[in-house]
Amino acid sequence: MQLLWQILINGVLLGGLYALMALGLVLVWGVLNIVNLAHGALIMLGAYACYYLFTVFGLDPFGALPVAMAVLFCLGYLIQRYVLNLVIRAPMFNTLLITFGLEVVITFLAQMIFSADFRTVNPSYAGANFLWLGATVPLVRLLAFGVALGLTFALWLFLDHTAIGRAIRATAQNLTAARLYGVNPRQLYALTFGIGAALAGAAGTLYGVVSQINPYIGSGLTGKSFAIAIIGGLDKSIYVLVGGLFLGIVEALTALYIGPTYTDVISFGILVLVLIVRPTGLLGRTA
Amino acid sequence: MKQLFSLLLATTTLLFGRPLLGAPIELGASVQLTGQFANTGRYYGDAYQFAIDKINAAGGVKIGNTREKLVLKMLDNQSDVNLSVRQYVQLVSQDKVNFLLGPFASDFVLADSAIAEKYSIPMIQGGGASDQIFSRGYKYIFGTLPAASDYFQSTLDLTGQLKPPPKTIALLYADDAFDVSVADGTRKAIGKTSMKIAVDQRYSSKASDFNSMLSLIKSQDVDAILVAGHETEILNFIRQSKTLNVNPKLYAFTVGVPSADFRNALGQDANYAFGMTSWVPSPAFKDDYVGNAEQFATEYQKRFGYEPDYHAASAVAVVEAFVKAIEAANSVDPAKLRDAIARVDFDSLYGRIRFNAVGQISLPQTVVQVQKGKLVPVFGPKGVMEKALYPMPAWGKR
Repeated sequence: MQLLWQILINGVLLGGLYALMALGLVLVWGVLNIVNLAHGALIMLGAYACYYLFTVFGLDPFGALPVAMAVLFCLGYLIQRYVLNLVIRAPMFNTLLITFGLEVVITFLAQMIFSADFRTVNPSYAGANFLWLGATVPLVRLLAFGVALGLTFALWLFLDHTAIGRAIRATAQNLTAARLYGVNPRQLYALTFGIGAALAGAAGTLYGVVSQINPYIGSGLTGKSFAIAIIGGLDKSIYVLVGGLFLGIVEALTALYIGPTYTDVISFGILVLVLIVRPTGLLGRTA
Repeated sequence: MKQLFSLLLATTTLLFGRPLLGAPIELGASVQLTGQFANTGRYYGDAYQFAIDKINAAGGVKIGNTREKLVLKMLDNQSDVNLSVRQYVQLVSQDKVNFLLGPFASDFVLADSAIAEKYSIPMIQGGGASDQIFSRGYKYIFGTLPAASDYFQSTLDLTGQLKPPPKTIALLYADDAFDVSVADGTRKAIGKTSMKIAVDQRYSSKASDFNSMLSLIKSQDVDAILVAGHETEILNFIRQSKTLNVNPKLYAFTVGVPSADFRNALGQDANYAFGMTSWVPSPAFKDDYVGNAEQFATEYQKRFGYEPDYHAASAVAVVEAFVKAIEAANSVDPAKLRDAIARVDFDSLYGRIRFNAVGQISLPQTVVQVQKGKLVPVFGPKGVMEKALYPMPAWGKR
C-alpha cells in the first residue's frame, strides 16, 4: 500500500512535467493546425539555455526559467514568421515534413555547438526531498509540478481573458471572420508559435533539472507530447494537464505492475485505443 | 616488364575487386559520429584514425618486402542500425574496402556482422560484447571486448569480500542485446553466491524515468544494485535515486563510470558509484606503435580534447590486430586473413589480444569506483587494489 502511494505520487509529479511539455505542442496544433515535430528539439534548446545560464552566469534554474522562455519565444517567433508562415496554407503533410526537417537541423546544430556530451543542471537542492504521509517527495519535481500547473493556468487565463488570447482562439475557429475583425493572422500565428516555443523552453528548463540533457532527447519528448495531445484533446489547456497526469500515472503503474520495459508499449497503446474509441480525445476535440 | 606488371595488376583487380599489390590497404567502418550514440561512438571514430596514423607513421604494414599504408574509409551511421547495415554493404560492394572495422554497441554489431559473414570479409570490432554476436557460428567476426555475461563477475567477487557483505541484490537491465546478455550471465553468477536477487527488472532502452523501479527497490530494502544500461539511463538513475533518497550499500554500473563525461555531468553525486573497465591507462600495457597505454591516453587527450576510455583502447587494438594478422598472413586475401586473425596473439596497449574459438577475447574487468571525483581502481584480477568505500553513506550524510 505504501509502495502504491509512493508510485502514485511519482506518477503525478512526472505527469505535471509531461503536461508542460505537451502544452506548447497542443497550443500550436490547435491554433495553427501544425503538428510541430520540432517541439521536442525546442524543449532540448530550453534545457541547454538553462544549463548555460546556470553554469556560466550562475543563475538559479528557476530564475533562468523566464530567460529561457524569452529566448525560445524569440526563436519560435522567427521560425514561424520566416519559415512556417510561408507554407501555412500548404497541406498538413507538408508542414509535418518541414517541422521534421527543422527537428533534424536543430538537433544537428545542437550537436555541433554543444557537443554530444551529457549535461545536467545540478543546483545544490537538486536532490532535496521530504517525507509526506510516508512517501518521499522530491523537491525539484514538486517545484516543476507547481510551475507546470502555474503555466497551464496562466495560458488558460491568457487565451480566455485577454484580447490577444481571444484573437488567437478566434483565428483558430474561423480565420475569415477573425480577419474581418481586423486580426492580422501572420502576426498572430508568429505570436502563438512563439508562446508554444516559450512553453517548450520552460519544459526544457525543468527537464534539465530532473533529468540529463543531450542533443538527442528531443524526438522522444515530441512522441510523449504527441501522445498527451491525443489523449487529452486540443480543446483546453486544462485537458492537457489531465492528459499529462493520466500518462504519468499510467507509466508509473505500468513500470511497477507490468514491467518497466513495457511503459512505451502501454502509453502508445493507449494512444491507439483513444484514436479508435474516442477520436476527439478523452476529454474533447482532436484535430 | 612494366606491361606485364600492369597486366598482373589488372588481372588481380578483375579477380579480387582490387589489386593485391602496390595499393594501400583500405579499412572500412561505419560509426556513430552523430545521433544518440555519438557520445561513445566518437571513441571509435577517433581511435581508429589515431591508430592508423600511428601505424602509417611507423612505416605501415609489412607484406613481403613492401610496406603498405593503411587508409580509413569511415562513414557516419547517425546512430541508425539500418543505415549502418546499408553502409557496410556499400563499403564491401561499392567501395571494395579490404577489411571491416566494427561500430559501437552490440545491437549494431549483431546486424553489421551479418554483412561481413555474407561477403566473407573479416570484421574485427571493439564495440559489441553481447554473447549473441558470437553464438551464431559466424566465422568472420572477431571482438576485442570481454564477454558481456562476465561483466559483473569481478564486481561480485569484490562484494564477496566486503564487510558487512550485501545480502540482497537488485538487478536492472535495459532490453537490448548487450544488457540482456549481461543480465543472463549475472543472474547465473549471483546464483553461485550466498546473495539473493530481490528485484530483477528489465526496462526499456529509452527509459528516462526510474522512479517506479527505485521506489520498488526502496520498499524491498535492497543492499546492492547492479545496473546494466546506457550512460544516459545511468545518469538519470543516480540523480533520481538521490531525489527519492534511495540508499543501498553499493550500486554498480556496466558503463558510464569510467568516462570523464559521467563525472562531469554528475559532479559530487558521481561519488561512490562502482563501475568497470577492461582497460586502465597504465604504462604496464605496451605495444609496438604508440608506446604504452599511458602515452596513448596523453596523446589522445591532446589530439582530440577528451580522455580516452576502454572503448578507445579497444578500438586501437582492433586496428593493431588487423596489422598483426596481415603481417602474419603476408597477404590481404580475406580467407587467409581470417585464419591469421584467429591465430594472432600479441600484447597491445589494451591488453593481450588472443581470440578464442568463437572470436572473442577474454580480459578481466577491473572494478573502479569514483572517490572524491577521481576514478580509483579497487579490485582487479589479482584481488584488492585500492580500498573500496563501502557501505555508501546515505545521501543526506555526504
